[in-house]
Order: sequence, then C-alpha cells, then structure tokens
Amino acid sequence: MSLFTEPIGLSHFLVVGAVLFVCGVICMATKRNVLGVLMGIELVLNGANLNFVAFGSSVLRPAGTEGIGMDGQMIALFVIVLAAAEAAVALAIALSYYHAHATVDVDRGDELKG
Amino acid sequence: MNFDQLLQNVVGDTIGPGGSLCAFRPELALCATIVAVLLAKIILPGWKSSAYYITLLGLLAACFFAFPWSWQQGGIPAAKSIFTGALIADSFTVVVRGMLLGFAVLFATFTQMTGVWDREDQAEFYVLMLGSLVGMCLMISANHILIVMLGVEMAGVPCYVLAGMKRNQPKSSEAALKYAVFGAGAAGVMLFGLSLLAGVLGSVQLPTMTARLIQIIHNGASADQTLVLALGGLMLMVGVAFKLSAVPFHFWAPDVFEGATAEVAAFISVASKAAALGLLVRLVAVFSMPSALTFPEGISLPPDRLAAVADLGVVRQYIVALLSLLAAVTCTFGNLAAYGQTNMKRLLAYSTIAHAGYMMMPVAAAAALVGSDAVGAREAIAALLIYLGIYLFMNLAAFAIVAFLRNATGSEEIADYAGLVRRSPGLTVCMAIVMFSLVGLPPLAGFWAKMTVFLALIDAKLWALLFIGALNTLLSLFYYLRVVKVMALSPEPLHREAPTIPLTSLVGSYCALLTVPVVALFFLLGGVLYWARAAAHTLFN
Repeated sequence: MSLFTEPIGLSHFLVVGAVLFVCGVICMATKRNVLGVLMGIELVLNGANLNFVAFGSSVLRPAGTEGIGMDGQMIALFVIVLAAAEAAVALAIALSYYHAHATVDVDRGDELKG
Repeated sequence: MNFDQLLQNVVGDTIGPGGSLCAFRPELALCATIVAVLLAKIILPGWKSSAYYITLLGLLAACFFAFPWSWQQGGIPAAKSIFTGALIADSFTVVVRGMLLGFAVLFATFTQMTGVWDREDQAEFYVLMLGSLVGMCLMISANHILIVMLGVEMAGVPCYVLAGMKRNQPKSSEAALKYAVFGAGAAGVMLFGLSLLAGVLGSVQLPTMTARLIQIIHNGASADQTLVLALGGLMLMVGVAFKLSAVPFHFWAPDVFEGATAEVAAFISVASKAAALGLLVRLVAVFSMPSALTFPEGISLPPDRLAAVADLGVVRQYIVALLSLLAAVTCTFGNLAAYGQTNMKRLLAYSTIAHAGYMMMPVAAAAALVGSDAVGAREAIAALLIYLGIYLFMNLAAFAIVAFLRNATGSEEIADYAGLVRRSPGLTVCMAIVMFSLVGLPPLAGFWAKMTVFLALIDAKLWALLFIGALNTLLSLFYYLRVVKVMALSPEPLHREAPTIPLTSLVGSYCALLTVPVVALFFLLGGVLYWARAAAHTLFN
C-alpha cells in the first residue's frame, strides 16, 4: 500500500516533518545570509514539532500501540517558546554583527579562521 | 482518579515534606539570585559592585543547599525521580552540581578581578551566567526528553550572548554569530532526533524509553525500527557533541574562544563542557541499563533482569563504537591542530577539544563494562569525574593568567609572553605548572586525571583507545612546552617590557590560589576519589 492510496495517517505527517527537516538542513548549509540560516533552523524545529504532535495524537496512533499522548503536544508548546527565544537572541546578535561589519553575510566574517 | 485528587497528588509531590522542591533548592537559589541582581540594579543604582556581591551571596547559598549534609549520617541515598519523573536526584546530580557551583564562585570572583565588564554590563553578565548555570543543572539531572532539550538550550543561549557582549569589537560579534548559528542548528537536529526516538519508543521519559527499547529488542526489532532508532541516536549525539566541541562539531570552539573574552572562554570551556559530559553520562547510563526506578502502569520489564541487560547489549555496542570513534578523532585532531596556533586562546581552545576527547573515553569504557561489571563501570565514571574536577582548576587557572596578562599588555599572542619569567617569575611558574599538568606529568594533578582514565580503558579492554590516548598525551607535550619555553627562555621583546605581576598582588595571589590545588591534588587524591566514587555510586543500578 502506498502513501498516496491509504487514508491520511501517522506516516503522512512524518513525511512532511522529514521534508521540513531536510529543507531546513539544506537551508542552513547553503544560505550565506544569516537570516536565511535562521529560517532554516526554524524549519528544522518545526519539523521536529510536527513529529511530536503527530506522535502525540490519539487519532493518528495505530491501534494497539502506546503513544506519547499529551506529552507530545506539551513538548511542542515548549519548543515554540524556545524557538522564539532563540530567534530573539540570534537576531540581536545578527544586528550587532551588522553594526560591526555592515553586512549579514556569514562568509564576510573571516577575521576568525576556524 | 478525578482532577481534584490528581491536583492534590501533584501538590503533595512538589511541596510536601521531602518533596521535589526540597531537592531543587540550589536551582531555586540561583533563580532568586537572578531576580535580586536585576532588582538591585534598579533599586540601588549607586552601589557599584552590587551585581558581584549579590551573585556571590546567591552562589554561596546555592552551594550550601547543594552540599549533601545528610551523607555524613545516613550514607548516600538511592536515586529518586522528582517532579513526577522529569528530573532525577541522585548522588551524581549532587556532586556534579556542586562542582559547577563551586566553579561559578571562583569564576565570579575572577571576572570581578579582571574588571572586564563595566558598571553597565556587569549585572547582565552575571544574570546570563546564572541563567546558563540553571540550564546546566537541568542538563545533568535530566530524566525526560523535554528537560534534555530545555537544559541544552537554557545553558546554550545565554552563552551565545556572553560571547558577543563586547559590543564594540567586530571579532566578538562574529564569534557570537557563529556560536549562535551553529548552536541553534545543532539543537534543532538534536530535537528532531529526540522526536524520532520518542515516537518509535512511545514515551518521553528516558527510563521508560529504555524499557520499551528492551521490549522491542526482545521481540526482534524490524529493519525500519532499527534504522530510525540508530538515526535518532546519532542526531541526539550531534547536539551533545556540539556542546562537547567534539570533532566534527568542533569548528565553533576556536573562533568563539578567540573572539570572546578570556573570561567567557573559561566559562564555556569548563562549565559548559562539564554539563555536557554530565548529560552524556546520564544518557549512556539510562540507555545501557534497565533502570531500577518504578515505571508507569502498562510497562513491565521482562521478569528476568539479566535477560533485559543482555538484550541491551547491541545498544551498548552502538554507544561504545560511536563514543570511541568520536573520542579518538576529537583527541587526535585537537592535539594536532594546536601545533600551528600563535594565539594563546586558540591554543587553549584546541587543548579544550583534545581534553573533551580524553573525557569521552571513560564514558565509552563505562558503556563497554556495564553489561558484565557494573562496579567497573562506576569506577570509569569516577575516573571521568576526577578528570573533570582537576580540569576545572587547570583550565580556569590558564584562562585567568591569559586574562590578567591581557589586562597588563593588551595582547593574547603567545609571542608577546616572551621574557615574562624575568618580570613576573611567580606567574610564569604558575603557568608552567598548569601547562605541565595539562600534559599530565607527575607530580601534578593532571597525571592522576589521565592515569585513572587510562586505567578505566584497560579495565574495559579498549586497547585501541588506550593507545590513541597515550600517543596523544605524548603529542600534546610539545605545544604546551612551547608556551613555557617562550615565557621562560625567549628574550624580552625590544619595543616594550614584559608586564610585572608579582604573586603578592591581588591577581597574582588569585592565580596562585588556583595553582595550589593543581599540585596539592596529586598528593591528596583520596578526597577527590571519595567524591567521584560517591557520585558514581547511584549510576548503573
């Protein structure tokens, strides 16, 4: 049975989560602009969040298995707050970087050679 | 069970006698200190060093609450989970938290002495440091994947800001940006890995996840399940490896250490690493042995505990292989890359990476031993804690000297330390002791740190890892020696004099204070051993 013919279930949500994750990782790896990289991070976090909510849902859970229940939704709420806090800090740092370098291009930061 | 009853249970569990809040007092003290520091800035604008004194007071109070006073009479209590299983309170938590808080006291004094933050920034600096400490305390006592995630983020995010707090320096903002972007990315990958693990294992509490893992392995895992579990474990490890600055997630470390001030580098290098190792030990301990803690209804372990331990053998093999590989590569890379460095902070960054490699070795040894010999596994974790305790003094002393020399000369290049022995002989001796101890030469404490780790590796029969560790110790000798050579043998630079910092001055005596344990712990290993063994006592039961 393929994903296209069966009714919407847990696997479909996981596929969307995985696609979000992969998009986010590619975005983090290839974008030169700090804001682009931060967007990639948001995608990764949202992919994980979707997984948690899908795993926590009692409707999607295959019959006869134990799910993570309400914990999944609770974690998703916490992660939303975490993502906001992280974005606030990262944007503030990006602003301070912009003041010093007049750009938000990560490749221009080459004073420190890793 | 109706709602009212549920509520009463939670209240009783939280604030009742011997409840969860009781074991959580050090963290609460830290949180109260944060509020007090911020309030003092508003209420007492005239008091110049209010932030430092309030922080010191709060940290000492936290140390008082964290100290296990009851161990004298009652022995070490068994592990118990608090806050309905979110955190775990056992001797490991108590000892590592005590170590972190003790470090924080020394560290706060150090930053006050160097005076790197002016009046405006001081309060923010201490608030961020305390916030990061709370996160680290959560990391080492995590028993729930939400706490793993929250702890890692709470410890990490304030550090990003700390790295960028020197606002007028371009290097500082660049370091902060790299740290924040890499850190947030690693945390995101880790969260995704955790979501996969939680989904497949059907639980978010670590011991319950292990119980489910045993069931899955016992019934024969399908190929899909194995793949997702292995992938989830690997992604979880990405987040931990980033905090540990393990290769291949190390590249932020040299840049952040160079761009941030030496004080912040010391904090990241010691406290953040200790917490990451604590988290690693927690994860390894929970996934390599079925827990003795009680489980929620509906989950039962196979009645035969020995069979359950045997079932987890494949998980242990996975952990050992992963950690051994990471440790070997990290250690070798750190030591080799340290050779070409001309900046002292970059050199110490690579040294930190190498030490992270050494400190992962006993964790691998513990995972290898736990199936057959739980006592040996506890000894391996004790070896890690001895290493951590000694490393704390060594690295803090090294960064303190770097910071004091920066205040005197404005430079952090190794070449600028030339001829220091003529002007500041005492400080040079301190630095030499610290450097030799970082190599692991007797009669300095660093020798026991390496020795106990290698003994644990022999016990676990991880010969390849032992060989790599020994070879790396030899490799590291030369770059540490080069620093001492420049300080002691090179002539003073012509254009200016080397700085004069006598040991009798305030900063000199602080360096001496940190160097004394580096020598003394070689002779007084018994005390350290007692605490390390006490910490490992409740693991792997």
